[in-house]
Amino acid sequence: MIKIRNLNKSFGKLKVLKNVDLYVRESEVVVIIGASGSGKSTLLRCINFLEHPQSGTVKINGQLIDKNNEQEINKMRTQVGMVFQHFNLFPHKTVLENVMEGPTQVKGIIKFEAKKLARYYLEKVDLIDKANVYPSMLSGGQKQRVAIARALAMEPSVMLFDEPTSALDPELVGEVLCVMKELAKEGMTMVIVTHEMGFAREVADRVIFMDNGMIIEEGIPDHLFDNPQNSRSQAFLSAII
Amino acid sequence: MDFIDVVIKYTPFFLPAAWMTLKITLLGIAFGMLIGLGTALTRISNNFLLANVSRLYIFLIRGTPLLLQLFFFFYVLRQSLGLEAFSAAYLALAIHNGAYIAEIFRGTIQSIDRGQMEAARSIGMTSSQAMRRIILPQAFKRSIPPLGNQFIIALKDSSLASAITISEVLLQAQRLAAANYKMLEMLTIAAVFYLFYTSIFTWLVSWTEKRLDVDSDKQRGLV
Ligand SMILES: Nc1ncnc2c1ncn2[C@@H]1O[C@H](COP(=O)(O)OP(=O)(O)OP(=O)(O)O)[C@@H](O)[C@H]1O
Ligand SMILES: [Mg+2]
Repeated sequence: MIKIRNLNKSFGKLKVLKNVDLYVRESEVVVIIGASGSGKSTLLRCINFLEHPQSGTVKINGQLIDKNNEQEINKMRTQVGMVFQHFNLFPHKTVLENVMEGPTQVKGIIKFEAKKLARYYLEKVDLIDKANVYPSMLSGGQKQRVAIARALAMEPSVMLFDEPTSALDPELVGEVLCVMKELAKEGMTMVIVTHEMGFAREVADRVIFMDNGMIIEEGIPDHLFDNPQNSRSQAFLSAII
Repeated sequence: MDFIDVVIKYTPFFLPAAWMTLKITLLGIAFGMLIGLGTALTRISNNFLLANVSRLYIFLIRGTPLLLQLFFFFYVLRQSLGLEAFSAAYLALAIHNGAYIAEIFRGTIQSIDRGQMEAARSIGMTSSQAMRRIILPQAFKRSIPPLGNQFIIALKDSSLASAITISEVLLQAQRLAAANYKMLEMLTIAAVFYLFYTSIFTWLVSWTEKRLDVDSDKQRGLV
């Protein structure tokens, strides 16, 4: 589903990703953990080319993405949903319009159909009653669920989550994780950067530990959490658990 | 005749000039907005050539007096392009204001959180779609107060067109005073026309702001 080989990304002189390989199978849930600045977000953003890597290849659904081909990248992005730490909802559009924006503008779906689609996904994240309000009226947890619905309305085959609950008050984290669990159960392929270790343990098929731009260790959650092999992962895990 | 009588008597003679002031100002602003938006967008685009052309344009306009620009249009371009004095005046005003409006738009576009563009791109929008549907509507709203300010400056600056034979309010005041020796009264009438226009502009801007505020109250859920 996602095949990343030999990815290198630097910002100026700073090497942020170093020869990263990452395969994600269909319906797999991969959680990426690691210290701040280790390159987790950058890796995620290289998958949908919000960042352009200096070298390496990204294959999505078997298709090699040409980083110079804007059209190809835009098309790929319709298959790869992304959820951001700070939601990034469009403040000048209602909740419903936020969710309809992609289907109507990118896929060219007619309004009537797009509205049905949007309502379906808002129902799914349990926010249908907020369809006609503006994002600023929502709590953080509700905003993030709208953001998830907005991504899902494109009917992507992969979802990327970059610390979806890090900006939320503790009591709002649960509702977002709940939606994500539901998605995992339905077989959505997901790559998730998170610090929610309990969630990772419960939902992840595989956990990846990143350090200093490299994947240092990976494995099924129980192994990686209970019995980390690498000294850095040991240090990281003992610090946060 | 005392002051008030003179003012009342001569005010009607200003009406065509007041209309002229309004026309060159509004045309200058309207084309200035188009030029400004285009310049702002190319200035922040990835196109190296266009971005630098915009940068040069802004540099030239902001670094030279409007009067010089009016002279350039009137004495140089009017000949070669076959313009009327009227067109030379509003085009010079448009080009002049365009540079300032470009900087206003550039500032507000860049003030929109980067996450907005990223979210739009992440659902597959092209950069121009994202700009048009997501960034510009938000940036435009933030541009209203500085634009209003620029419009008022443009109105007052239009008086410089008197130097290239445009019969606008200030030139009319000068001409009448040359004949009737009532400079104070003529300048007073001219001032009243400018104050009248700036009041209308100010009111229009705050009305637009209020309307948009109502919208954003709705967005914030206050009504
Ligand atoms: N646009 C950018 N320009 C310059 N440097 C950047 C940019 N984005 C990220 N970096 C740097 O790259 C490194 C990796 O950043 P990244 O955001 O991928 O880390 P992260 O693992 O997601 O950290 P966090 O847990 O804090 O989100 C950091 O040192 C960061 O400062
Ligand atoms: Mg990050």
